[in-house]
Amino acid sequence: MDWILAIPALPTLSFALLLVMSRQVRMRMLWLPVASIFGSLILSIVAFAQVWPGGSEEAIWHAGWEFAELAGKPVDLSVALDPVAAVMLLVVTIVGAAVQVYSLGYMHREEREGWYFAVLSLFTAAMLMLVLSDSLLLTFMMWEMMGLCSYLLIGFWFENEGPRKASQKAFLTTRVGDLGFLIALFAIWGVVGSFSYEEVLHTVGDWPAAVAAVAGFGLLWAAMGKSAQVPLQVWLPDAMAGPTPASALIHAATMVAAGVYVVARMLPVLMVTPWIMQTTLVVGLTTALLGGLLAAVQHDVKKVLAYSTISQLGLMFVALGAANAEVALFHLTTHAFFKSLLFLGAGVIIHAAHTQDMRFMGGLRRHMPITTVTFTIGSLALAAVFPLSGFFSKDEIVATLLHEHHYVSAGVVLLASLVTAFYVARMLFRVFTGPEQTKHLSEGHMSMLAPMSVLAFITLVLGFASPTFANFLGGHGVWPDPFVAAISMTSAGAGLALGWWFYGRRSAVVNTAIWKRRLGYAYDALAQKLYFDAVYDHVFIRPFMLGATLLAVFDMRRLDGFVNLVAATWVRICTISWRVDVTAIDGVVNGVASAAKGTGSWMRGLQNGVIQRYQRLVLGAVIVLVLVVFMVKGV
Amino acid sequence: MRVGLEAFLLLSAVLFSIGVYGAVSKRSAVQVIMSLELISIAVMVNMVAFARFVTPDRGTGWAFTLFAMVVSAAEVGVGLALVLAIYRRRHTAELPELDELKG
Repeated sequence: MDWILAIPALPTLSFALLLVMSRQVRMRMLWLPVASIFGSLILSIVAFAQVWPGGSEEAIWHAGWEFAELAGKPVDLSVALDPVAAVMLLVVTIVGAAVQVYSLGYMHREEREGWYFAVLSLFTAAMLMLVLSDSLLLTFMMWEMMGLCSYLLIGFWFENEGPRKASQKAFLTTRVGDLGFLIALFAIWGVVGSFSYEEVLHTVGDWPAAVAAVAGFGLLWAAMGKSAQVPLQVWLPDAMAGPTPASALIHAATMVAAGVYVVARMLPVLMVTPWIMQTTLVVGLTTALLGGLLAAVQHDVKKVLAYSTISQLGLMFVALGAANAEVALFHLTTHAFFKSLLFLGAGVIIHAAHTQDMRFMGGLRRHMPITTVTFTIGSLALAAVFPLSGFFSKDEIVATLLHEHHYVSAGVVLLASLVTAFYVARMLFRVFTGPEQTKHLSEGHMSMLAPMSVLAFITLVLGFASPTFANFLGGHGVWPDPFVAAISMTSAGAGLALGWWFYGRRSAVVNTAIWKRRLGYAYDALAQKLYFDAVYDHVFIRPFMLGATLLAVFDMRRLDGFVNLVAATWVRICTISWRVDVTAIDGVVNGVASAAKGTGSWMRGLQNGVIQRYQRLVLGAVIVLVLVVFMVKGV
Repeated sequence: MRVGLEAFLLLSAVLFSIGVYGAVSKRSAVQVIMSLELISIAVMVNMVAFARFVTPDRGTGWAFTLFAMVVSAAEVGVGLALVLAIYRRRHTAELPELDELKG
């Protein structure tokens, strides 16, 4: 069964190959990442067939390597294939393949297209490895790898200020969450001495309460960072600065869902401490409601989808808080398909309308039939309309809450789905109906429409797999209760009707200024993203910048001052040495040289070629010689 | 007063000095050759004087003097020929202008 490792290995290989190529060669090798993701997809289907019909949480395949030794105990990196991993493999590879095929059309003629595909492959590999991982340490490694890829793809157009800032914000905010993961890892290693899922989950009942609380909260905090839950949700809307298909894969379907996935896996650790479960529930409810409200006031179509992702992830946290991992994972799965479909559709819409602002779109349905149909399917799934997949998964969440007697929470979830239906209707009516505001509207390329159609088909039929899904994961699947279904349909219907009343009634461009005035402060608060960014800016970023400035000043004045003093002293010493060299040593050398030169030029005067001059010299010399001889001999 | 050896030696010294002076100071090559002749004549006067007053019984001194006179005449011939040759080449016989040995 070791061929399962090829599932993450294939995209890794295509990343490694693309990495070493030049930009020009990469552009011609784009079939390589696409082929590798399809290879992974086929292997994932085979792996899924091997696990079928599931029904237990036991892994059917296991492999591990000793990675290091820590205090005499081996640290293993291990992988396993169980039903949850098999489902997630399928989700990641199907969405990944759809996004890669779509990107061929969407990123066509982009200058660094090859690099984009390389990072996308690396990301897919990391996510696949994360779902196969059976060791918290390996999970953490892949978790960080995905963070890196997310950073690289958000900042793909790093020439512009916006993507650059957004990528840093995303990286740093999720890093705040990752701190929780690290602390949880330390705590778990301290009591268990192993990172293996199996050992951690089997011994969790024997842990000291404090350790369980620390580990549980650490994991929850990490998941809140990765899955953009309040109060760490601020990075996800900004992350929309990256390429749209990358947003579809990373910031809608897979990476942001990794937080939910890890918490779902580690749910027994969280369940040890009741208040952590309550926190999960409250965080989920808050995020679901606030995300929906924020999505309702955005004008940028991608930001609507981003806040909607935050809100839907909040619903998954609600399911986790109600201790029902299967429901959370089912909503994760349906959401992955319909939200990536929505993002891909948004990409086509943005390409056609040349704007992301919904106020300047309109009437697209007349020119883009396929996009309109698929996008509407995705939107109605998001609004939880029967019989689309979103209806089944959201219905299960409400049913779980009612079953656990969380009536207030169920009410909040219904309110959130009303808001969801409202902004879905707003988005649909703004984009597809009303007067056309853009000329030369045209349908997207086949390579973009085909993946969307596939995802739309999955969204249409996946809901009916709802009981099978729960059974496969080892739970007990049931069809929706008509009473609960009626309640959730009512709330969705009310939201859609409200949206139609605001945006769909007239065929003119909708002007909501009068409503904004009537709602006053409430609208302002939502338009300002509920002041989260402003508060973080004042509480964390400005003091940090101030501290950094102070340190920089200290560095410049004191540390640099000392270093500069040393340097200046040395320069002075060198100057003196230079003077000595130039004056004394060079003086001696030059003096010898100029003496020789002077002598030479004086002696040269004698050799003037006038013979009589020589004769005179000889005569003088003879006279002198004679005089000397006489004086010596004394005559 | 009888004319003795000293008188001849004095004459010889005077002739030699005139010759040396002329050889080192005259510009014309012809004059320099004439001065050189004076030097050789001073030598010959010396030789004859010593032959007459020191060894009157042997004829060696006169014989050598005759040789010297012949050689001296030949010298003058060669010297003047050189001067002529130089004059033809350089259109001058002024010695200070013949400074091709200048280093």
